[in-house]
Amino acid sequence: MSQLLRPTRSRWLLLLTLFALAALLVGSACYRQQPAVSNRTAPTEAPTPGAREPAGPSPSRLLANRPRHNAPALNGAGDEARRSVSAFIDWAGQSIDEEHDDARKALEGVRDNQEIVKAFTEEITRAQKTDHSRALLALSLLGEIRSPAGQEFLHQFVNQPFPREGTRTQEGEIIEQTALATLQAKAIDGLAYMHNERADAEVLRQVQEHPSIIVRAEAIQAYLWNQQDKEAARRTLSKYIRKGEERYLDQLTREQGEQADSFNRKLEAYLKAHPEVIPPAPEKGREEAKQDDSPRPPAPPAF
Amino acid sequence: MNSKRTKVLCVMLWLICLSATAFGVCNQAQSSQAERDLWNEHGCWQDFFLWQYLAYGVRSGDWSNRGYFDACNVNLEYPKHWNASYLLTYKLNDNLAQSWHGTIDYRATAEAASSNFHNSIYHQATDDTSIYGAFNPPDQVQTSCLLYDNNKPSANNNPASRAGDYMHEGWHAWFRRYGYNGGGGSCGHFTGPQGACTMDPCGCDYFYFHGVGAYAFGAMWENNGTASRFHSPNQVQVEFLCDIADQSSAPASVKTAARADANARANGRFINGPGYRCGDPRPW
Repeated sequence: MSQLLRPTRSRWLLLLTLFALAALLVGSACYRQQPAVSNRTAPTEAPTPGAREPAGPSPSRLLANRPRHNAPALNGAGDEARRSVSAFIDWAGQSIDEEHDDARKALEGVRDNQEIVKAFTEEITRAQKTDHSRALLALSLLGEIRSPAGQEFLHQFVNQPFPREGTRTQEGEIIEQTALATLQAKAIDGLAYMHNERADAEVLRQVQEHPSIIVRAEAIQAYLWNQQDKEAARRTLSKYIRKGEERYLDQLTREQGEQADSFNRKLEAYLKAHPEVIPPAPEKGREEAKQDDSPRPPAPPAF
Repeated sequence: MNSKRTKVLCVMLWLICLSATAFGVCNQAQSSQAERDLWNEHGCWQDFFLWQYLAYGVRSGDWSNRGYFDACNVNLEYPKHWNASYLLTYKLNDNLAQSWHGTIDYRATAEAASSNFHNSIYHQATDDTSIYGAFNPPDQVQTSCLLYDNNKPSANNNPASRAGDYMHEGWHAWFRRYGYNGGGGSCGHFTGPQGACTMDPCGCDYFYFHGVGAYAFGAMWENNGTASRFHSPNQVQVEFLCDIADQSSAPASVKTAARADANARANGRFINGPGYRCGDPRPW
């Protein structure tokens, strides 16, 4: 007994080994639990995926029962304003195209509501640290409000320090930079949409100075789109665009709802104006033999 | 004695490494708003994931600790994986006068079955956050925690960007099928920075501009060996994301994320860029 309990170095090693083995077995068992609800048998012998919840209706039935055009009201002060903004962002995220104008009308109605605008800015600040998709969405909504208080926040947002280091992918992308740049590009949309002297000056400054091409390119497009006199806007932009980035002024845009004829005419004109963008022929090597042996599953379930 | 101790130490280290592999999963505590907004549309459609795992070559051994047996838990990787498949299978408008390509093209690129788009592939998740995804010949498509985790500063942990990566990696499989290596870089693309591409040291493509309607739906795989009828992996990804942003019935948060990803890629990943921009810059 005493011999067994004596803490020699080899015994410690043995104990640690047993502990690691036990951790491996317990961990694997926890992660490999079988489903509580059995599902239909798959055509292969491999286990099918499963769920703990019972099967529900098809999405078409769920969508048919979802109420439409019921944007939550944006009102209140302090905590109440925060709750209403949070509920509005929840709703806006799930909304579909036919509800787009509902949101625009609601946002237009709070242009002078400082409490609501402040609640949006707080939500963006919070979401920037926790949920990129929510931060992007909330920035879109704030930009659409076009409020002076919101403009102040957008100025600060586009001037947040741009990270120089971070998680670098093998291709050289720093994901912290991309995450911030996509949000700052959305903030630029809001500033350009304000379309006043100070906001325009900030957008033009970012065309020249922002470290990310994601933001510089957005600033070019957003400035151009929001100006009535396009030729004058192009002349102004030409003074700010970095050397080598002039082509971004002519970037081809497919606008939502644009028909093929309209886009294809723009493409033809673009390629004529910029023959240098036509790429070289791709280099071809040896083709792989075509297989036809993979199992073909049936069609996906009807929506 | 020393050699015995060394052996025990080796075994112990091996077991610890093994358990680290078993536990090495992405963050499983949360999901993004875009994820949940899409998810709430179907509320966990079991018939769909029972089709999806076969269609995508999802194997229980690869995904068992990632929600394969808990497929209605939206915080786990496999539910997020099939949520992205749901997006590309059902939500595109397929408007020949406005869409770049159709569901038939995007499905064939992402799904496992051998076709004109590629030889058979299968999908796996990876904890390697030095990549968004990878195509490992001959048949493995990997998507990384950067596309799943909501606790990392990644802009791409949403169903649109994840499905966009299925396009990108699936198109590397197309390259292999038709004998293209994608450029001189070690990552299956051209080296950079080069031209308008800011990637460093690798990850640049050419954009092969084509009009709307230039490809019949189902014909995206076609090429004529010249730049006039060809796609690069980043281009297929941008066109897909753009179709989600502008030509789909996806929830607004998914479309917003898709547009941001498409435009970021269009502006920074093409030697002869920028590629197409999608949508106007009105904030909402």
